[in-house]
Amino acid sequence: MKIVVLMKQVPNEDAAIKVDSSNKSIIEDNVTFITNEPDTYGLEEALLMKEKIESIDEVVVCSMGSSSCQQTIKDALAKGADRGIFINNSNQSNQDPLSRAKIIAKVLEKENFDIVLSGLQSDDDGYAQLGILLAELLEMNHASLVMGAEFIDDSTVKVKRELESGWFQWSELKLPISLTIQSGLNQPRYASLKGIMGVKKKTIDIFEVSDLELNDIDSKTELVKLFTPIKTKTTEYIDGSTDEIVEKLVGIMKNEIKVI
Amino acid sequence: MTQNQREELPIDVLFVGGGAASLAGALHLNRQAKENNLDLEIAIIEKANEIGSHSLSGAVVDPRSLIELFPDLDINSFPFEAPVKTERMYFLHKSGFKLGFPYIPKGMSHHGCYVASLGKLTRWLGEKCEEEGVDIFCPFSGDEVLYDENDCVVGIRTRDRGIDKNGDQKPNYEQGVDIKAKVTVFGEGTRGSLSKQLISKFDLMKDKNPQVWAVGVKELWKVPEGTIDPGYVAHTLGHPLGNKIFGGGFIYGMQNNILDIGLVTGLDYNNPTIDPHHELQLLKTHSWVKNLLKDGELLSYGAKSLPEGGYFSMPKLFTNGALLIGDSAGFLNGMRLKGIHLAMKSGMLAAETIIDAFKENDFKEKSLSNYEKKFKASWAHKELYKARNFHQGFKKGALFGMLNAGLALYTGGRGFGFIDRMEGHEGHLEMQKKTKQTINRYKDLKFDGKITFDKATDVYHSATKHDEDQVPHLKIIDPTICFDKCKEEYGNPCQYFCPASVYEVVEENDNERLQINFSNCVHCKTCDIMDPYQTINWVTPESGDGPAWKNM
Amino acid sequence: MKILCFVQNDDGAVNPVSKEAIALSQELKTKLNGELDILTFSQEISTELNNYESNNLLIGNNSELANYNPLFYTSAIEHILNTNDYDLIILGHTYQARDWVPRLSARKDIPFISDCIDYTIEDNSIEWIRSLYRAKINSQLKSKSKQTIISIQSGCFKADDTVSGQTEIKNIELDLSNVNKTIVPGEKFKESGSQIDLTSSDVIISIGRGIGKEENIPIAKELAELTGGLLASSRPVVDSGWLDHSLQIGSSGQVVSPKLYLALGISGAIQHVVGMKGSNSIIAINKDPNAPIFELSDYGVIGDILEIIPKLNEAIKDA
Repeated sequence: MKIVVLMKQVPNEDAAIKVDSSNKSIIEDNVTFITNEPDTYGLEEALLMKEKIESIDEVVVCSMGSSSCQQTIKDALAKGADRGIFINNSNQSNQDPLSRAKIIAKVLEKENFDIVLSGLQSDDDGYAQLGILLAELLEMNHASLVMGAEFIDDSTVKVKRELESGWFQWSELKLPISLTIQSGLNQPRYASLKGIMGVKKKTIDIFEVSDLELNDIDSKTELVKLFTPIKTKTTEYIDGSTDEIVEKLVGIMKNEIKVI
Repeated sequence: MTQNQREELPIDVLFVGGGAASLAGALHLNRQAKENNLDLEIAIIEKANEIGSHSLSGAVVDPRSLIELFPDLDINSFPFEAPVKTERMYFLHKSGFKLGFPYIPKGMSHHGCYVASLGKLTRWLGEKCEEEGVDIFCPFSGDEVLYDENDCVVGIRTRDRGIDKNGDQKPNYEQGVDIKAKVTVFGEGTRGSLSKQLISKFDLMKDKNPQVWAVGVKELWKVPEGTIDPGYVAHTLGHPLGNKIFGGGFIYGMQNNILDIGLVTGLDYNNPTIDPHHELQLLKTHSWVKNLLKDGELLSYGAKSLPEGGYFSMPKLFTNGALLIGDSAGFLNGMRLKGIHLAMKSGMLAAETIIDAFKENDFKEKSLSNYEKKFKASWAHKELYKARNFHQGFKKGALFGMLNAGLALYTGGRGFGFIDRMEGHEGHLEMQKKTKQTINRYKDLKFDGKITFDKATDVYHSATKHDEDQVPHLKIIDPTICFDKCKEEYGNPCQYFCPASVYEVVEENDNERLQINFSNCVHCKTCDIMDPYQTINWVTPESGDGPAWKNM
Repeated sequence: MKILCFVQNDDGAVNPVSKEAIALSQELKTKLNGELDILTFSQEISTELNNYESNNLLIGNNSELANYNPLFYTSAIEHILNTNDYDLIILGHTYQARDWVPRLSARKDIPFISDCIDYTIEDNSIEWIRSLYRAKINSQLKSKSKQTIISIQSGCFKADDTVSGQTEIKNIELDLSNVNKTIVPGEKFKESGSQIDLTSSDVIISIGRGIGKEENIPIAKELAELTGGLLASSRPVVDSGWLDHSLQIGSSGQVVSPKLYLALGISGAIQHVVGMKGSNSIIAINKDPNAPIFELSDYGVIGDILEIIPKLNEAIKDA
């Protein structure tokens, strides 16, 4: 069985994220790029599955973007993934999730993966759609916000899904499956020294979008602009005696914000 | 995993630290090894997540080392911002007055040099290393130097990963690995934590001047097109440091409408309330500087100490099984304000020494002492020797310092024209006790959030991050000193000299406590250097932690 | 402009974010002179939905829709879309919606703009606003497709803005016999000792250094309980060891965007602000009139939290 883990390279949010003068992208002079943190849980889950389940032969890491995202693949190979797939797509930030999913599906469909794992969302756009879009495009069953997965037999997996307000649910799925993994379900491992040295021996298959012969991948949404949210309202100060302040606060919380 | 099962990785040569010195050294060594038919396993370990993330400098780079290392490359293919086009030196006064020096002496001129980002440069060198087969292990922090039974350095032990704040193992705990090497080259940069141990253990500073440091605090700004040209270089004296504090400001033009502004403050000042971050903000209140920045946007902030002591403050550069390179060994020309080319050259000289060592199969002092011989025969020595008394001349103030520097230019580096070796002084011992007369330099400083920023906002722009769940990497050897002695004597200067608000005196339950916000640390080492009691010991944090600088 | 608003059934109650979606749909219907159909798969909640003004209240009927199942839900909506020409499909961005709506988007090849926080109308077309990089900057997007699916973030539109009125109920029998039963969800369950999820709370009562001492924290905790919210804090409180790091809000803690963020004794340093600036309403109480928190709060009180909170607690109990 083969697992493919989708991993995205995203701007490091610890840097100050600012909009550039074109209003369509962020300033990158001060921003390093890192592997999307939620995806690291997906990779760890895949590596744990391979360690536990004999029938899983290969963990493949797939990343799409500009050439710098090959580093994301190398980091994953250093941690124990077997092979990488890099889809060279420098136009990615202008494409909506559906367009991106179609490109990735075209590459992945050749290989008939049994399991697709991805993080629950990316820390940059946060659409939270890719894993499920791929499930539909690749005709797989799926579950989102997965907190744990167990094989019941060769073709059935039981997953624990997180629901709102502290509820959970088990769900049984027939392979092939696409799972989006909730952050925190495992502790992503470090890459060992031997792991890093071993990256040289592993392969990264490279695909160009133009070679894929896709027809309908133009984005169906268009970015009008990026902007820094500015507060338009000025602060309304509440004054008076303590009792008066409290009364006004209760009024606001009850009638305006409606939380009591 | 028990102690017995600790993983070992045997290689031939290990470079500790992935800065300019190690990268140049490893690359040169790799090539020389192939030329000499030696099959050497060479590796670099670096504590940052990627090469360049912890690199910070001005910088104006003398290209000669890069040209030596890459003789076949066109100078335009080096990752520089621009050749130095306009060179200015200004004396500033807080009133707004600005006086340009009409003439910059040749020894201090930057003509023929390039404005550069050290981060960009090291990333480029890192790529070259990987292309040519040198293993770079990121992120791996060095924790301990390893010795054999004869006290010969045999490698280093990496730091355990996955230890929580109580010192217990987390689920992803991984024991540190012993990387064993025939030669270990220490290129940790300024005030290297393992180099510090090595220097102390083997008394490598015997008969040397004590090292003295400065701290450079800088910001990168995005400015409107046309504000500054790439290749513009300006250095400033006067405001804000004045006559008594060593240092000065710099403004460099980089590509992409980036303005690089910084201030270097000598870490041998007297006033215990000096705050290098605040000094940089004061520099920006000068009307000329304010005007340059007024329509710009702050992108990045960072700080790093630099070894200013010069030639006589360099330690002995070798011991059995080990060599010291780059800033860890003080390869910095304070007069020319340049160290990157010297760092790279030191790495290359170390590489040549190591080739000879492998040919002779001798990794002890007898063979490694060739490093100092090669250094003495090189242009690096000639350059550092001429600047040997630069910093020491400033002990009596900037005016004397400049006079000394000027005279030195004509006398091959003699102090005030005639002193061959001037006395050095330990920086932290220059700090005077806090009294009622201690001047508060910042009473009129207000942070406007547009040009000047408070420390917390600046630290946010350093993109620094540390896993909260770990033992703080800033160790106070004797914590009782803080409120039993230091508060009274110096007023807890750590709150001021740290450019990242790591140290905070907090009032709690009618008591005072030192809060260590270690996750703000930008790895500049100022605290390790300047603490008057030398009770702060900086060690490497969890691998990968620290700033995430892109083009600093 | 034909709008379809899908309403999620939470064990016999209308999901609160779905209610907000109804309010938005009604607003758009008015502004753009359109038509609105509300859709549910539950007879139980249709009684309440009958009170909201819309053109039609569609009740999709099939026994497989009694409990949530992504394949059945996707196919059910697919059927409805096949027989009606909707321009806009609006729903709440719930965990459930995240689970099935992308399937619909891929199946019907229509764009899904998820987790919208606002909108604007430019040249008679709607532009949707989303927040990126965990609320640091916003993007404004427009759809180039005839049909678009929109999900809205909880708390960004007001459920109380729903308009009561008439509608026409239409029961639709759905044939879902060709849907595979290859995803089988089980029973829901709660786990003991679940982690506190600050991001799911509508109200956050957050304390800063101004709380003074650990002994003062209970009054803030009480306020959290009285408002149905959760207690959280800025860094210094965690650093002092008074609260666990899991309750920290900021760049090295959690990022929240609740309906109400009550900042008590918090100065508003940038490291904290990036963790809560996306909140819908911010009330700040601080002794220091120059505290940066007042730059982003909607309401500000310059005062002593230790005096105000106990009285506020009493007043809420009486309210």
